[in-house]
Amino acid sequence: MAHMTQQEYEQNKKDVYKTTGILSVVTVVEVLGSIVYENMVEDLRWPLMVFVTLASVIKAYWIMNVFMHVGHEKKGFMFTILFPFIFLVWAIIAFSFDGAAWLAMRNAINGIFF
Amino acid sequence: MSSGSTNEYEVHEWESLKGPFNASYGKVMMWYFLISDTFVFGAFLVAYAAARTSNAESWPMASEVFSTVPGLSGNHYPLVFVSFMTFVLIISSVTMVRAVQEGFMGNRNGVIKYLIPTIAMGLLFLGCQYLEWSHLIHEGMTMWYTPFSALGHGHEGPQQFGMFFFTITGFHGMHVVTGVLLNIWLLVETAKGRFDKLGNYGMVEKVGLFWHFVDLVWVYVFLGYYLL
Repeated sequence: MAHMTQQEYEQNKKDVYKTTGILSVVTVVEVLGSIVYENMVEDLRWPLMVFVTLASVIKAYWIMNVFMHVGHEKKGFMFTILFPFIFLVWAIIAFSFDGAAWLAMRNAINGIFF
Repeated sequence: MSSGSTNEYEVHEWESLKGPFNASYGKVMMWYFLISDTFVFGAFLVAYAAARTSNAESWPMASEVFSTVPGLSGNHYPLVFVSFMTFVLIISSVTMVRAVQEGFMGNRNGVIKYLIPTIAMGLLFLGCQYLEWSHLIHEGMTMWYTPFSALGHGHEGPQQFGMFFFTITGFHGMHVVTGVLLNIWLLVETAKGRFDKLGNYGMVEKVGLFWHFVDLVWVYVFLGYYLL
């Protein structure tokens, strides 16, 4: 990348400190949310789990956009980086459901044979 | 290639060569490495998700397992120590991005000034991880045995808890070690004036990308292991 102008430099510096604030606040909120939900009844936990997960996505967005300056790259490059992650997100969600199905199957078999 | 000056000329040409997407080759290749690395971590997290959901009934609660702080007695500090470790990593990322910006401005002393705290924070994180691991090993956790379950301490939990804890945080810790070593090399080369001679600080940006990636992965390790 070519040299930045003094003005761009000051702007980028401001962005970095703003991002630091956002990351810190989101982390604190996440930890509080996590401690609260672990003391809740099983059935009421999922909204907070979704909330904590979304908070982490927000953190990832700010790290990638400002710290790794993906947002400043060419569009094609940006999508080259971002598209592969979609498959991973899908795989993690799919295997979570798969794991729950294994648990149900194991419990059903235990009920029959033991 | 016996003469040093020929080498330096070649490095210079390679550095300034425009690769695809109008970015330098080195940067594009660093990103492709990071994408492949993401898939390794992704494989861990996918396996972890399946292991965890298939042991949902006995999986220990993170706020009970990770509830001690070194130097303080008792276990009434859920997630406090690991939150501190997260902050250490965030701050080290901030100083790293400042070093990259100083690099863009061609300010050698600025790069050095911000690389030193980055390395210090990386080492501090590793020290914290050492304390956390040795505490858990002391409690009896190994790759094959978990002394906690959903019922609390002292009940045998799912074996996978210890297994995935040591492999995932260990693999992440290995990346932190690599990042610290790269940063030390970068600091030495910067101090020697190599990048001033080259006329660009692109290397600071590339190592910076790796360091931010370590932070990015920690966001998800933190989410998967400590928060959910």
